[in-house]
Amino acid sequence: MATFDEYIEKVSRYVAEMRSRGERAREFDHPGSPEKLREGLPIEVGPSANPGIILRSDSFLELGNPEAGSCAAFLWTDRPSLIRDGRITLFGPGIQESAEASLPFGQVLMVGGDGLEPEDHEKLQQAQHVADQIEGYMVRSASQNLWSRLSKDVAARGFDFETLGRALMNLVKTGAPAVSAAEVLFVTTSKEDIKRLDGIISGAKEVGRNILKETWKARGYDLDCDFDCASCKDQVVCDEIKDVIVARRKKAESDESRGSSSP
Amino acid sequence: MDRDAVREKSLARYKQERDWFALLREATKQVPGEEGRLQEKLLTILLDSKETVVDCVENEKPFIAGYFCNAPELFHAMDLPWYMLMETPFLAASAPYLLSDVEGAENMGIGTDLCTAIRLPIYYIESGLMPVPTAVLGLLYPCDGAPMLHQVLEHNKAWQDVPIYSCDPPYTSDERAVEYFADELRRMADFLQKHTGKTLDMKKLVEVCEESNRSYTLWQDYNELRRSVPCPHGWEIGGAQAFAISQCFVAGDPRCTDWFRQLYKCGELKIREGKGASATEGWKERIRLFWFDIMPYGWIFELMPWLEEEWGAVIVMDMFSNFPYTLIDTSSEKTIFHGLAKRNLLDAPMIRQARGTAENFSNDISRIVKDYKIDCVIWPGHMGHKDGAATTGIMRDTCRELAVPFLHIGLDLFDRRYTSPDEVREKISQYFRGMGIG
Repeated sequence: MATFDEYIEKVSRYVAEMRSRGERAREFDHPGSPEKLREGLPIEVGPSANPGIILRSDSFLELGNPEAGSCAAFLWTDRPSLIRDGRITLFGPGIQESAEASLPFGQVLMVGGDGLEPEDHEKLQQAQHVADQIEGYMVRSASQNLWSRLSKDVAARGFDFETLGRALMNLVKTGAPAVSAAEVLFVTTSKEDIKRLDGIISGAKEVGRNILKETWKARGYDLDCDFDCASCKDQVVCDEIKDVIVARRKKAESDESRGSSSP
Repeated sequence: MDRDAVREKSLARYKQERDWFALLREATKQVPGEEGRLQEKLLTILLDSKETVVDCVENEKPFIAGYFCNAPELFHAMDLPWYMLMETPFLAASAPYLLSDVEGAENMGIGTDLCTAIRLPIYYIESGLMPVPTAVLGLLYPCDGAPMLHQVLEHNKAWQDVPIYSCDPPYTSDERAVEYFADELRRMADFLQKHTGKTLDMKKLVEVCEESNRSYTLWQDYNELRRSVPCPHGWEIGGAQAFAISQCFVAGDPRCTDWFRQLYKCGELKIREGKGASATEGWKERIRLFWFDIMPYGWIFELMPWLEEEWGAVIVMDMFSNFPYTLIDTSSEKTIFHGLAKRNLLDAPMIRQARGTAENFSNDISRIVKDYKIDCVIWPGHMGHKDGAATTGIMRDTCRELAVPFLHIGLDLFDRRYTSPDEVREKISQYFRGMGIG
């Protein structure tokens, strides 16, 4: 089964390329437990930490407006050694130096835990959903794009990307105790850099979708079909068709790789 | 009936419906404040669209019948008037003649297991109550019922010579599917130009899509306001109206953007005043609901006000208010048609749920429950949404994992006789009591 390891490695190469291009990387290290991650933060983190909404007029900063550029990914692995626990990497302007700005925003949250399995995927995704759990930080409720606002109030208290990174890692470690390592990458340099990052991680979304499909299938639901497989009289034919589709795809991939390796 | 007879009869009915909305607009002029102005603006946009269709029928100008998911920005860019084939059940369900129309459909012999929203336009067509347009845009998705309507058109004496085009919907929802559907929209535009004499000017389409983007941006901004506790508006304001303004009349018109600005203003005012959905003295919001379908427009006044006043239960989010959209990239013809294809194939309500893969149900519920602090998810179980019936298990499982109550009712959104409002109220009350909600 396809995993996210390939994408974690691609993100690592992206970071290396950004450095070699001369982009300044700011790094923060906060390994450890959820409690340790919360220690000393200038904000509350957890359910109802941000009970209200942040109006436009109360915003210090906007991140990930689609016009400015936005991308996000959540990647997990059962090989925690691929993740450097607690590392927060930032390329581009920070929050405190960007009052009233609308920054391009890329966020990749990577977590690892021994024994993490595809069945954990949905739970892991839920764990990193911000909702009202980070004081002064509101992510727009949208199924696509990560577009968020930061309040003037928490900006005045020193909220920056280190704060956000720690908060996100805290949320996911609290919500999914099987996670032993978490790392975050933030990119606010330019729309082009965000687009490039999006190009690297967009395949991960398909992996996630396929994992979900298999997980629901194991529970007896076919996400591609509205009918209940167990009671459907066409199940045999349906399964055969799927086998044929899989075989055709494999053949097409093999033909393509033979064609590309030909002189 | 021949076309001339239909012309007279349908115009009389269309004017009757127009007059119903004109009456409602007069009533809104008596409502003070910004919310009164909001409703007045909405009804003005609606009435202007209806007047345009009346003018087209009376003066034999080109106009079409289509759907909200046929990329209405294209119609507006071509300055092509249109009306929605399922207009009455969707927009005019409060009209006093609706129940007798439903009975008329039954007396005609149209199967009562067919969605009422489809039965009604079939009845109107067969009874000569729907204006015959210059051309028709059909709908082959999201449900099996929709194509049946077009089979009726093709056999009806007054409609059978009207050219009809239906975009072919791909089965999958990947990039290849979106590109395919973009080509279908291009073919649709060619069809409209051929049969109506209108022209699609790309410069004008860019303007319309950019205006549409402004409307949608404001819509999304407004939806964020509904996350507030208490929610500034209930079932009456925002929500489904936003869907209607953005997709059912003159998509991409500055009047729509102006309406959304007014909507945001109304919402922000309520939040700053700390006010919730009801103005009743001492009222408190106690239950936040996600109503995962169209509102029960056929008998809405017998349910929604009761929910708010009796239980303090507010529809914070519903299927048509949901915002899964992305903005249209207007940098080229290719990106515009791509954006329109994505919006109309993957994002528009009901299409998203009934045509899309079942994970849309699960993902939307998860996001909305968390972001909008939902206390209970209601799947009305409309008799015409059988496509969602099998997905009930997925929705229930998702809600279980989120530890949020899920109520499946079973009703007809347009016909109060299917499950009476009394029964629905009783079912909801028992459920709330049993679950200890509110």
